[in-house]
Amino acid sequence: MSNVINEANWKFHWRLTESAGIMVYLADYKGRRVMWEGSLPYVTVDHQQQSLDVATEASEVHGPWWTPLGTRTLQGPVRVQTFRGGVELSAVFQAGPYQYTQLWRFHDDGRISPWLTIYGPGVHDQHTYHPHWRFDFDLDGARNDAFERFEGNRWHRVETEGWFPYGGEADENGAVWRQVDFDSGSAINIRPHSWDDAEVFAIRYHDGEWAPYSPRSAAGSQPFPAAYVGDEALDGDDVTLWYVAHVHFDQSFPYTAGPWIKVEGLGS
Amino acid sequence: MAAPKKAVKGAKSAKSQGKTAGKIPPKNAAKSVGKGGGSRKTPDVANADPALFDPLTAGEVADALRTLTEDRRLGSMAKVGRYRVICTEPLVVKPPHWMAGHRLARVVVYDYAADRTVDACVDLDAGVVSHLELTKSQPMLSRDEEALAISIAMTDERVSSKLLLGDVPQTTMHYWGRNPKDISYTRRSAAVIFGRRDGHASVVAVVDLLDNQVTQVVPAEMW
Repeated sequence: MSNVINEANWKFHWRLTESAGIMVYLADYKGRRVMWEGSLPYVTVDHQQQSLDVATEASEVHGPWWTPLGTRTLQGPVRVQTFRGGVELSAVFQAGPYQYTQLWRFHDDGRISPWLTIYGPGVHDQHTYHPHWRFDFDLDGARNDAFERFEGNRWHRVETEGWFPYGGEADENGAVWRQVDFDSGSAINIRPHSWDDAEVFAIRYHDGEWAPYSPRSAAGSQPFPAAYVGDEALDGDDVTLWYVAHVHFDQSFPYTAGPWIKVEGLGS
Repeated sequence: MAAPKKAVKGAKSAKSQGKTAGKIPPKNAAKSVGKGGGSRKTPDVANADPALFDPLTAGEVADALRTLTEDRRLGSMAKVGRYRVICTEPLVVKPPHWMAGHRLARVVVYDYAADRTVDACVDLDAGVVSHLELTKSQPMLSRDEEALAISIAMTDERVSSKLLLGDVPQTTMHYWGRNPKDISYTRRSAAVIFGRRDGHASVVAVVDLLDNQVTQVVPAEMW
């Protein structure tokens, strides 16, 4: 199967990684570069104590864990399918009581849906999933970009790197964050799933700060991507975005997490 | 994997000592574009070569590991030989970096002897380690380590005494402790989930991979 897909106004490449699921790279919309690469570096799982009993409460709280989404957990092939108005990639991963379906959907109107359907029982009910997507958008070139968030009923330019949780406000299309390109005036709009409890990390691109092979940094340090956040300026530079969802398990699972991404202002 | 920003600074002194080191300059170091690339056409983001993202061949993987273990900065690691190769995957650097357009391999190794992570970029065109970070961060477990954790847990009497009829190891999770008192807070660890095949989990065993021993056995419902 070819790893180049040319459908629905999109041309992109994909490959299965060792730990970050299906990676999509060199994605163009109507012949213009949109994304250098995008992947799902990891999904961590946190557990909460089930009992309010004092003795139990005092006991040790376990840390998070995760399992690589890649060749070692893939169930069956990566599927490429067209649907009305687009094309999608999907792959199923399983590790014991955790099951995921990763999706990349590309729509002919410029939308991308990097999604993750989460199911499986886990080791018990009281747990929360934290899927982490990493996007390196290069709208019409890598540089000369800026990052903005919607707040106080208007878009605000973000000057420096940081962590930007969804505060409940969105523009008329539901977008909460966007990356804009000064040269072309085009933008990538990011609309969170309303139940994702989502946040975005905006980080200046650096060689060496590639997708980590684990969320775990040194003991006592922030995990990734928070460990990448400093105080560097974003304005006019190359920006990397991480979208992180926080999904508590409940009986209504499966649940599909992930943003809507809409390309705006590109194309002839 | 890059270390957190503070740790990167600490790693630079090690980088500069190696004769084969090719420091990654700031990405806007336009003067270095083309350096080492010979007559290669200067690439740009819009015209990047998709073939650079292709999976490494078996020969390229072998080449990358040979180059890494022959690097003088990793002499002690290679000599002691207590390390695991976690991952070897293609890496593509963006223009205007001087390595843009080169065939690169990212090699991540966990060095048990020094309890450290080696995160390296090997330039397969030039045959050098072009980027090297030595940190205390914990990369994911290799497949060998996942299997080792299962075999350690399977032979532990505290685990076997808690297993129910039909329980098998379901999977190995990549785990670290949240509490500084927890031994897995600082040490390389795994959590093996036991349960019936395609059924609910029954027991979780935490395995310390530095000492190859089970450190916790927890009923799954209490995890």
